[in-house]
Amino acid sequence: MAFPISRQKALREWKLYFLIVPALLLVCTFSYFPAASAIYHSFFDWSGGDTKQLIGLDNFKRALGDDVLWGSFITVSILIVFNLFKMIPSIIMAVLIHRVKSDRWQYIYRVMLVVPMIVPSLVTLFIWKFFFDPNLGVLNNVLDFTGIKTLLVWMDGLFGWGVFFENAPIGWLSQPDLILPSLFIWGFPWIGAVGVLIYLSGLQSIGAEVYEAAELDGVGPFKKFLYIELPLILTQVRLSLVLLIIGTLQGFGLQLLLLGESGGAGGRGMVPGLWMYNKAFVAGEFGYACAVGMILFVFILGLTFINNKYVRVEK
Amino acid sequence: MSTAPKDFVGSHKQKDWPKHIVIWAFIIIEMFPLYMMFQVSFKDNASFLRNPWAPTPPYTVVETRVAADGEAIVKTRVADWSEVFAGAKPSDPSVQTAVKSFDLSVYKFRNWGFGLGLIGPYIANTVFVAVTGTFFTLTLAILGAYFFARYKMPFSGVLWAAFLVLMLMPGVANIVPLFSLLKDMNLLNTLWALIIVGVAGGQVFNIFVLRNFIEDLPKDLFEAAEMDGASHLAQIRNVVIPMSGSIIGTLSILAFLGKWNDFLLPLIVLRDKELFTLGVGLIYLDGEYVKQWGQIMAAYFIASIPLIVIFLFCMKLFVRGLSAGAVKG
Repeated sequence: MAFPISRQKALREWKLYFLIVPALLLVCTFSYFPAASAIYHSFFDWSGGDTKQLIGLDNFKRALGDDVLWGSFITVSILIVFNLFKMIPSIIMAVLIHRVKSDRWQYIYRVMLVVPMIVPSLVTLFIWKFFFDPNLGVLNNVLDFTGIKTLLVWMDGLFGWGVFFENAPIGWLSQPDLILPSLFIWGFPWIGAVGVLIYLSGLQSIGAEVYEAAELDGVGPFKKFLYIELPLILTQVRLSLVLLIIGTLQGFGLQLLLLGESGGAGGRGMVPGLWMYNKAFVAGEFGYACAVGMILFVFILGLTFINNKYVRVEK
Repeated sequence: MSTAPKDFVGSHKQKDWPKHIVIWAFIIIEMFPLYMMFQVSFKDNASFLRNPWAPTPPYTVVETRVAADGEAIVKTRVADWSEVFAGAKPSDPSVQTAVKSFDLSVYKFRNWGFGLGLIGPYIANTVFVAVTGTFFTLTLAILGAYFFARYKMPFSGVLWAAFLVLMLMPGVANIVPLFSLLKDMNLLNTLWALIIVGVAGGQVFNIFVLRNFIEDLPKDLFEAAEMDGASHLAQIRNVVIPMSGSIIGTLSILAFLGKWNDFLLPLIVLRDKELFTLGVGLIYLDGEYVKQWGQIMAAYFIASIPLIVIFLFCMKLFVRGLSAGAVKG
């Protein structure tokens, strides 16, 4: 903790306040002011210029009846479910690396995990976009080569999806019905270096005697995971869960770059953040965009609140 | 390896090799995009279409055929892998001779030159933004963290709360007003807009981590420095910065990475092509209609080089910092 300080001493140390002023000034100008401005402008009809007109709650009334907005909330919920599923490989990877006996190999694997991070995330994204390309793309080539495409076409015939055809390349990003699956496949095998390292640091706190005892009791590898490893990384899992849900809810960079500013074919990839971006920078309706932002903001704030209050994991 | 007690982590009965196989399988798939990026960067579109997967073998085949009017047509093409060992196979029945020869020119090193020409200026802009931004972010955050960590000054509790609230507050609604704010400040279409917004956005997290760190430093050091008449700035320079080198290093890397990867703000703020940072530059490149994949992949690879350099020099900080910083945050 910081030293408690008497009033007289604090008065003598008044110069200390100068240290916090720059950070405070920046935070007020670029975080607090825009937030306040977003609330203020959500009550206006405003297209970004000097002229604006107070219209009260009209923006919010319009948002209530906005099918695209509520559709985008459904899409983002589906994406959250996807992303929850995508957490599993990282956990498996961390447990596997943790159970490797040799320390040297453990270190080598950690380094290998971090290596892909040297590629800027934007580049990874564009490489995936290239993978999704119907004609040149790696994904379609792999599916053709392994015969999975035949299986997909057969299943399409069975269930009547109408998306996979024998003699046409699969249009991953151009078929409305394939946009959500593409967003799911994206990033396979879904290993996040940061996530794995976080879990590993949690696993490392498990004492050897715990394992020894489990060994004596003849506990199998899966039960060991369930009763020893999982409870110990639950704090970390919870942390990344919360970050992931909030990140998915407000993120729209992925959709913007992969699918474009209108959310791809049929707008199937539209998420709330992207709708806000679209309304502001494509349609020029800044006031309405602020209102959409406020609605999203309230959702996220509510989730954060619920999470802090109720979702507690005992260590 | 030594028989450390840690060996109990893995069971004695269980074999180790299945784990290695699974881990390697994951890692190989994970590395696949990197591999594709590298090998495609040496190809032109024709040889990419001919053989998308493997690197091109360093051979060319010269095929001669006689056209209907009796004139000889000579065509040079890249060899397939099957031809490297078995000898050249004519690609067409009308081909009369097919001669294979060793030829390094199948590797389009010029792609790299093109790639550098395409994104070199963007990289320069990004380096400027990321280095300046990281420097100011850390400098201001150290000053701020020192303020919170040194004494319990009047109002420091209120100020701390004001900072912490921002950690919970989603920033997504800010981007639209931020745009009009930057417009009013005449900062649109400047690199300084990116720097200043980046510095502001980095304060909360960095002050949070640094405050915890500075509070854990031995109090005697500060008292001794004060006895010697050191001002607060001198204490920061001579006590805080030398003692917290590793955490400052880790935070700098994280800040640099964040700024290097940013594309949303540049996309909104920048208009002139000369000012583009890597983020917008790559998006612009992606929008080109006819794509030379080799050049684009080379450009992607060049975009990663500064990060590779950082990685090579600070691998320990990278690996350790990511795990340690994550636990605190």
